[in-house]
Amino acid sequence: MQNTPLRSSLPIAVLLTLVPLTSALAHTGAGVASGLQSGFLHPITGFDHLVAMVAVGLWGAQLRNPAIWILPITFPLVMAMGGLLGVSGVPLPLSEPVVALSGIALGLLIALHVRLPLVVAMLVVGIFAVFHGYAHGRELPDAADPTAYAVGFVVATGLLHLCGIVIGLLITWPIGARAVRACGAAIGCVGAYFLLASLGVIQ
Amino acid sequence: MKVLHRLAAAAVLLLAPSAAEAHLVNTRLGDFYGGALHPLTAFEEVLPWLALAALAAFQGAARARWLVVVFPLSLFAGCALSQLLPSPSFIPAIAVALIAITGLSVAAAVRLPLPVLLGLAAVMGFVHGLQNGQAMTATTDQLLFILGVTAIGYGVMTIATGAAIAFLRGVGSWRPIVLRASGSWVAAVGIMVMGLQFLTPVMN
Repeated sequence: MQNTPLRSSLPIAVLLTLVPLTSALAHTGAGVASGLQSGFLHPITGFDHLVAMVAVGLWGAQLRNPAIWILPITFPLVMAMGGLLGVSGVPLPLSEPVVALSGIALGLLIALHVRLPLVVAMLVVGIFAVFHGYAHGRELPDAADPTAYAVGFVVATGLLHLCGIVIGLLITWPIGARAVRACGAAIGCVGAYFLLASLGVIQ
Repeated sequence: MKVLHRLAAAAVLLLAPSAAEAHLVNTRLGDFYGGALHPLTAFEEVLPWLALAALAAFQGAARARWLVVVFPLSLFAGCALSQLLPSPSFIPAIAVALIAITGLSVAAAVRLPLPVLLGLAAVMGFVHGLQNGQAMTATTDQLLFILGVTAIGYGVMTIATGAAIAFLRGVGSWRPIVLRASGSWVAAVGIMVMGLQFLTPVMN
């Protein structure tokens, strides 16, 4: 009588012993796909990077032609220079607070609808791009595939600029222009949060 | 009746049982596909190819047409000579520099003299041909592999250049801006990878 449940549970026990208890490593973290994925996710999962990238596109759209395309072209090129600093291991002090500061500054520029001369706008965006590139570049040598990682984060950065530009096109309508300025204010608030966090004021 | 017999004989021949080679990598043509796929597995080659196509599109269709001839021939030459020439140590550095150069040229939408454009295509094709040729082993059918590399170079360059020209011919002043922005992306990748190649040894 006792054997019946034992017999029926035996196949299940055998099956369970065949199931490995270790995690399945379907993706080993090596190769082009992994490098591309980690690079692509780096600016997107870092909210301080994300809002600053969107802000560049928003501000460009607010400043209209030619800033709408010059700023998003300037950013990745200067960001690459910052990436070089990160790759070479050159210490860049206060990189995290400046990344957060970029959100505050760009957010304020959008919220207050500040129309700077194109060269000055390029300079502002360029300075912040160095720090963003530095943060990405620090992780480049450790990436599974450095080129794929670079492609991933440059494409993600460009797409975030594009998001900002598309949102910025709302300025065609008066209510849209207000919405864009409100977005700027929200970006500034996010930047302020990250600045305080990077300085250890809030946890 | 005679026609019917011939048709029957043809049908028998066509239906003759033989192994279905669904995966041609197991046949002699496998090395052709190996060669064709090899350049597509690395961003270091695909990115500058696309950037070169965009750059050619900015020069106009008449000039861009030459690229479809020069680039695959250079690939062929580089790939073929890879078995005869030792691969210099600076080749990877040139390959990475080409990403940055072509990307920056597209971002700036520079108007190049035809010999410069073709020279850039020839250097890129030759360097990438050399690099792809290094992947051939003793068992590789070299001719098929080289033809595969050349064919994919021809195919990608033709399609990408044609697509870029058609894109630029469309209505809207934003079209060249899109290409220039994508060029800046390619340049950014090239600059950082170049830095990684030159600066990382300093770190270590």
